[in-house]
Amino acid sequence: MTVPPGLGEADFADGLAEMRDAVGTEWVFDQPADLNTYRDFYSVLWGEPEEKRASAAIAPANVEQVQAVVRVASERNIPLYPISTGRNLGYGGSAPVLSGSVVLDLKRMDRVLDVNENNCSCLVEPGVSYFDMYRHLQESGSKLWLDVPDPGWGSLVGNALDSGGGYTAAGYRGHWEAVCGIEAVMADGELLRTGMGALPGSETWQQYRMGIGPCLDGLFRQSSLGVVTKMGFYLFPQPEAYLSVSVDVFRFEDLEPLVELLNELEYGHVFNGMPGIGSPVLAQENPIAMSIVPEAEVMNAMVRETGLPAWRGSINFYGPEKVIRAQWDYVQERFAHFEGVKFNETPVVKLPLSPDDMERIHKPRFGIPSLEIFSVGSRGYGDFNPSDGHIWFSAVIPRSGKGIIDANRVMRTECERLGLDLFMFVPSVTCWSRSFVLFAAVPVYKDAARNQHLRDSVKEIIRICATHGWGEYRCPPAFMDAAMDAYSFGDHKLRRVNEQIKDALDPRGILSAGRYGVWPRHLRDGGGA
Amino acid sequence: MISRREVIKWGAAAPAFAACSHAAFASGVQGCDAFLLDQRFAAQVPQNHWGIPVMRFDGDVTGHWYQTIDPAWRQRGYVLGGITGSDALFVLETLAQQHGRRVVSRSQVGAADARGIAPVSWIIAPVHPSVVA
Repeated sequence: MTVPPGLGEADFADGLAEMRDAVGTEWVFDQPADLNTYRDFYSVLWGEPEEKRASAAIAPANVEQVQAVVRVASERNIPLYPISTGRNLGYGGSAPVLSGSVVLDLKRMDRVLDVNENNCSCLVEPGVSYFDMYRHLQESGSKLWLDVPDPGWGSLVGNALDSGGGYTAAGYRGHWEAVCGIEAVMADGELLRTGMGALPGSETWQQYRMGIGPCLDGLFRQSSLGVVTKMGFYLFPQPEAYLSVSVDVFRFEDLEPLVELLNELEYGHVFNGMPGIGSPVLAQENPIAMSIVPEAEVMNAMVRETGLPAWRGSINFYGPEKVIRAQWDYVQERFAHFEGVKFNETPVVKLPLSPDDMERIHKPRFGIPSLEIFSVGSRGYGDFNPSDGHIWFSAVIPRSGKGIIDANRVMRTECERLGLDLFMFVPSVTCWSRSFVLFAAVPVYKDAARNQHLRDSVKEIIRICATHGWGEYRCPPAFMDAAMDAYSFGDHKLRRVNEQIKDALDPRGILSAGRYGVWPRHLRDGGGA
Repeated sequence: MISRREVIKWGAAAPAFAACSHAAFASGVQGCDAFLLDQRFAAQVPQNHWGIPVMRFDGDVTGHWYQTIDPAWRQRGYVLGGITGSDALFVLETLAQQHGRRVVSRSQVGAADARGIAPVSWIIAPVHPSVVA
């Protein structure tokens, strides 16, 4: 039997026995075949002694059982690692950050507790997947949309807690931004509700996020401070129509004003869908990986030779057809002064979707979960087996033209120097309000030597990005310490305050040890990594 | 947990799918409730030929997952067989784990392409007491 670090075999067995009493024998998993399913199939440590593995897993059915398990863990110093559905492949999957932890698998807590059509909100348990929620909305005849990531097999709660993103309108597609109200089991086994949920009898838990006093929701984002057992979300009222357009400009120098104008139009709510910025002329070799941005005269010569746009700003509108057509007219007026500008539009999609439209559209842009990305990935680019997996390198960069060019050049140059493969590279993802996130997909291998090189290279990239002021917003467990290290202002005051909070709320350090670089006191100084 | 007898039965079935002859396939489907066929690799298998549903797709399993497999896996039982790309099997295997099911038999039935995607015949069966028939 694998035993959590620092725990005797007998103590651990006794603890598991108490947990079995709490949840039922069949919901405690400690056999190798069962535990194999809790590995991170995209692990950069796959098959190595350091691979992060669970010692057991336990699947409670309700809040009371979660409380009972947490209390046992607290009494016996058993490290727990809560997961919702554990589907965030590329960011750690079901595996714990601290090897030997007991995975607290919340998949059985899969109830949609409330959908409020008038308030356009819902309250769900952590085991509710995007497919579950979509089915619930469809079968209940709801007029509400949810925003889904791609793929859509994960949990609303888990994805929001990790700050995942989707594709629909601002305010919804940044999944943490759409959260309103959290219930969590704390390390002492007590139950906390944030916001208006703290007021007994309140009917406004999913309306007013802040409640009174310090807003505590953030304590649970990417954290190790509680087991989230309920979460509220704002849902998007189904719009009447959708319009996708793009603006092509043809000079290197157009990027900065293009981004500035897109920012103004989005922040002013002239369009509400997810914008994008790409470079057709720099995506000739691989449409999902922008090549290095050359000097202005070189890029302008490439544009002249190919006829391809230097930059393309894509814009999406959701709303009444009459309104979004007027918005698009206004957008064209604002971009008309760009030399040689071209406007492109696709046919307006009327909603709800017709069967024909359903076949041709990118489903996540319409709040429809999909698994298609796995088969698309298999037809992807680069010389690697997509089934071996990938990780995401995702750093927040300035939302400006200079931000794109600087990040592109640094990443392209350094990845080439380090020999780090990228099969997708998009410097300006806009799931999250007011920022660009640079996304680079790095293939993972079932080969220890190649993965060692990958790990060393990614840590070097994290360090280099930090020197430019770019930090990751999310990362796989193997890089959490390095990513948190980059946030070093005030002699790492951010991490030190997080550690103080950890010590206060979870003094035995039983919850999600090491998550995003915050270790409990007894495992600091690299003791748990 | 799945019984030893069931493992042996399904373990024997997978090579029959691998052969992909009609006779062998017909003998292999006994005990399965449905088949999933990835037309990238197994287009020649007839539709619904042995009295069990044959679900066809082209790499993206979303439609069959939402319409058929997910609802079926919420109930007890439902043994699913298939010949698919290893990429599609990875998706199904990951989903199966959350529903108390596991790949109990798998056999690569053709060469992998340049990027490692190979056709695989497999059976996913319920293994957790909450879903075993």
